[in-house]
Amino acid sequence: MNTKKKMKITPYKVFCVVVLCIFAFLFIFPLYWIVTGAFKTAVDINSSSPSFFPSEWVMSNFQKLFSRQKAPVWEVFVPFGSFFTSDGSKIPLFSGPVVPAAVRWLINTVFMAVMAMLLTCITATMAGYVLAKKRFRGRALLFTLIVCAMALPKQVILIPLIREMSTLHLYNTIWGIIFPTVGWPFGVFLMKQFSEGVPGEMLEAARIDGAGELRTFTQIIVPMVKPGIGALAIFTFISSWNDYFMQLIMVSSTSNLTISLGIAKMQAENSTDFGLIMAGATLAAVPILTVFIIFQKYFTQGIAMGAVKG
Amino acid sequence: MRKFLATMLAAAMTVSLVACGGGSNGGSSTAASDAPAAASTAAEAGTAAAEVSTAAEEVSTPEATAEPVSLTFWTYPVGGWGNSDNVDALLASFNEKYPEITVTMEYLDYTNGDDQVNTAIEGGNAPDLIMEGPERLVANWGARGLMVDLSDLFADPEAADIYANVTSACLSPDGNYYEYPLCMVAHCMAINKTIFEEADALQYLNLDNHTWTTEDFFKAVQAIYDSGHTNVAAIYCEGQGGDQGTRAIINNLYSGKFTNPEHTAYAVNSPENIQALEELYAQDGINFDPALVGGGEQDLLRNNTLAMAFCWNAASQTKIPDGMDTYGITDVGDEIIPMNFPTDDGKVELCGGIWGFGIFDNGDQAKIDAAKAFIRFMANENVKDAVLASGFFPAHSGVTDVYAGTETADVMAMFTKDFMPNLGDYYQVVPGWAQARTAWWNMLQRIGSGGDVATEVEAFETEANTAAGQ
Amino acid sequence: MTKAAPRYTTRSKVLVMRETRSAYLFLLPSLFFFLVFVIFPMVLCIYTSFFDSTMGKNVEDTFVGLANFREMFSDSVFLKALRNTFVIVIVSVPVVTAFSLWVSSAIYKMNGKVLSFFRCVFYLPVVTGSVAVTVVWKWMFNNYYGLFNYVGTSTGLIEKNINWLGDERYALACIIIILLTTSIGQPIVLYVSALGNVDASLTEAAEIDGATKFQLFWRIKWPNIMPTTLYILIITTINSFQCFALIQLLTSGGPNHATDTVMYYIYYTAFKLYRYGYANAMGVVLAIIIALLSAIQFRVARGK
Repeated sequence: MNTKKKMKITPYKVFCVVVLCIFAFLFIFPLYWIVTGAFKTAVDINSSSPSFFPSEWVMSNFQKLFSRQKAPVWEVFVPFGSFFTSDGSKIPLFSGPVVPAAVRWLINTVFMAVMAMLLTCITATMAGYVLAKKRFRGRALLFTLIVCAMALPKQVILIPLIREMSTLHLYNTIWGIIFPTVGWPFGVFLMKQFSEGVPGEMLEAARIDGAGELRTFTQIIVPMVKPGIGALAIFTFISSWNDYFMQLIMVSSTSNLTISLGIAKMQAENSTDFGLIMAGATLAAVPILTVFIIFQKYFTQGIAMGAVKG
Repeated sequence: MRKFLATMLAAAMTVSLVACGGGSNGGSSTAASDAPAAASTAAEAGTAAAEVSTAAEEVSTPEATAEPVSLTFWTYPVGGWGNSDNVDALLASFNEKYPEITVTMEYLDYTNGDDQVNTAIEGGNAPDLIMEGPERLVANWGARGLMVDLSDLFADPEAADIYANVTSACLSPDGNYYEYPLCMVAHCMAINKTIFEEADALQYLNLDNHTWTTEDFFKAVQAIYDSGHTNVAAIYCEGQGGDQGTRAIINNLYSGKFTNPEHTAYAVNSPENIQALEELYAQDGINFDPALVGGGEQDLLRNNTLAMAFCWNAASQTKIPDGMDTYGITDVGDEIIPMNFPTDDGKVELCGGIWGFGIFDNGDQAKIDAAKAFIRFMANENVKDAVLASGFFPAHSGVTDVYAGTETADVMAMFTKDFMPNLGDYYQVVPGWAQARTAWWNMLQRIGSGGDVATEVEAFETEANTAAGQ
Repeated sequence: MTKAAPRYTTRSKVLVMRETRSAYLFLLPSLFFFLVFVIFPMVLCIYTSFFDSTMGKNVEDTFVGLANFREMFSDSVFLKALRNTFVIVIVSVPVVTAFSLWVSSAIYKMNGKVLSFFRCVFYLPVVTGSVAVTVVWKWMFNNYYGLFNYVGTSTGLIEKNINWLGDERYALACIIIILLTTSIGQPIVLYVSALGNVDASLTEAAEIDGATKFQLFWRIKWPNIMPTTLYILIITTINSFQCFALIQLLTSGGPNHATDTVMYYIYYTAFKLYRYGYANAMGVVLAIIIALLSAIQFRVARGK
């Protein structure tokens, strides 16, 4: 990269490369095993001496996965809609044709992660800016609360949260997973750190020019903290995609499951049908991996950005 | 600062007000739905509800129209009821008669199913209908006041021929029935015939009536272990899945009991049970496996890892595994033979499974009535098909020949002859059952990792009896 | 708290009022979610922790005062779970930090393609998610046909099959190993970029002055990447505390509670023992512990 100097080959460097390769192998192996396992026959998978390469590539695991349960491909409900129906049923916004449930799970997961990401980015950027740049009553208390709540595992409020979601008619909806994720104050904290980097003179200048609060925010703050928003977006997307616990406690019906939950359920139902489970795991891993590999540069930049400021 | 705290409290109050509003909303909706409820009861009374409802529409009396009702129905994998193909066929015939009732299925598993139902209850989203046994429907959710009393179903003439011990299992100590039974089975164990043959252990089995003695059981295990097959059997104890198998082997070996005869307290702490546990622990080839549940154990029998399984029944015997075309054999084609649990006194007591339907009280009378219509259809009118789908035996004495003419007729006849008569006491209705079974697998885990048997059994009993309110 | 207090003296009260009003307008969306879905349940949680509460309609909650809290300290399983939680945090945080620092310093000077290959590889388990990953690990650790037993017995490293997840001696270690693989990716990315950002002129100057590699690292690089290290410490701690999926899917807290963490035990107490009040009380205690730890961590970070 930056060095055109010749690198000396020292024994330590050789050692490093060898060890790194071993670790790299250990890290790739699980994924390799999932993806190849999805195409193996049952005999291959269950043989007492593991076969490291499918002796025969089959699609039967995927066929089984897709023939299991069905669900409509889309089904978006009005949030809080069940407050307004006589029997407490949900108001559907729109729904689509029936597809294998696994596809629906994937769509649910994407919807959940994207929604959580958008809402978090918007709310956190606004709050972060204010916390960094405004002096107002209650700021210190609020900030202390945020810092203390940041590391709180969600299990702590397991039961109250379920009960609350139940009264709000959000239990067993994807919104039930999204809202607590948005409420988690890590994003606010991160965006506050970023906003602190915005020079105060710029805000002052904007005010002298007569720009309103909203214009100052959208035209000065947002462009300045864009890298931070990127970092937060990636962080929220991945963490809500992988937040198994919230998903586990919040949704229960087949058409509302996420892909992680779906695989976990399959694993419990067919504890040793590894072919099927791995087909599910492949379906869960490949989309997000593809996203990651395509946007690798932005991912790593974004994450690194978060740290420098954090 | 103080002001801010006040603001926060105010905010919290607003939220709780909203929350209360939500609650009362729910209440009013219940009241509103009382009227159509009466209608659907009327519809049920008719023999062909569909026709009644169309007739009603013609004369345009709004009370009598069969309002569309949607039910959620969650089922545990009760034999073939865990398989959506079987259930879909049954639902189709139900909908022919009741087109206005939509049933949405969810399939639970025994590993996480309880957690799933419990979170749903807490989330105000419990299913309308549920299929499982009295240990959950009666002793747990029923006793907690979450279920609808089904006494009116038992008053039907169709309920007259339900076996008396089944009826009593569905009856809660509070005098209500929280389950209407469909099918039952005697849980047994199973062995791999080829592995036994190779170890010359078939001599220890009485294959005429599928029984063996405690002494022969241990000899057989030893013989198989010595033949080089080091994993003979597993006392699986990761969770509650299939735990009747571990209870049955331990109780039967030296005729120990699990509860007192009145089903009010646990009675595991006896010399018989302690001896059984100690000998099982000491026996070569039997692992206490805290990373395994009953379902996994069956899979290990099927792929020839284990030579016997303690979690077995008629439905497991006749289930055709994925990718195979016949039942009763392992992945490599060895024959699987169901066996009674070994006993010292020749008196086998098999653990019974009784499965049926229960209704969660979600406060909506229309749904409750529709759910009752569903139960009447499945467990009375259409009982033969419903039982056939499960792979178990009917709970009605009047229902016979369910399997006549099917592929599995021979196997089912054999189970009827050699296993069903050995059905023991149905003790799974002791108060605090859910907590006791958690304590049970925890106890097995402790024993498996070297805990002193007598101490651990006593610890179990204290914990279980506390939950039982003793 | 006085440190960050508003400077009323230098500004007019009117201005402060106006700022406060507009500030809360901006805060409103975020505050709504925070108060409704985090703080309010937390308040409810504290409230119920003083009650004996269970599932069902026919039992009223009874006020028991501090009984739930008292019970906790004589509940051997809770204490075991607390210990396990801290073991996980205490082992994984330093290991993750040290290992990722080593990997990053080994790769950050490499050629762009190689660098992004390694970075990508170590980040894979993070992206894949714990549930998909557990599928493979469960098979690898399997007692009867798992990979580790196969490799172990065929190379003679172990005498006979070990029930990795079913043996009290190994189960927690297995969980920690898997946790490490899923939490090392992010720190590596962070360190690689932090090390790359250390001013080259500084290191070059030091090299000309004849500094050893060791000195170069501790005197120049280490102080420069300190903020990154602190950030990594914080996120790894959060991550380790929240470890739940691995335990629920691999061991259910067993064998004999050897892999129970407070997080899993709360879930277990609620839905297997039906003791909501007690579960909430444990949640409160855990929340206090974690809030204290974060406050300390934060103070330290601020101090630097």
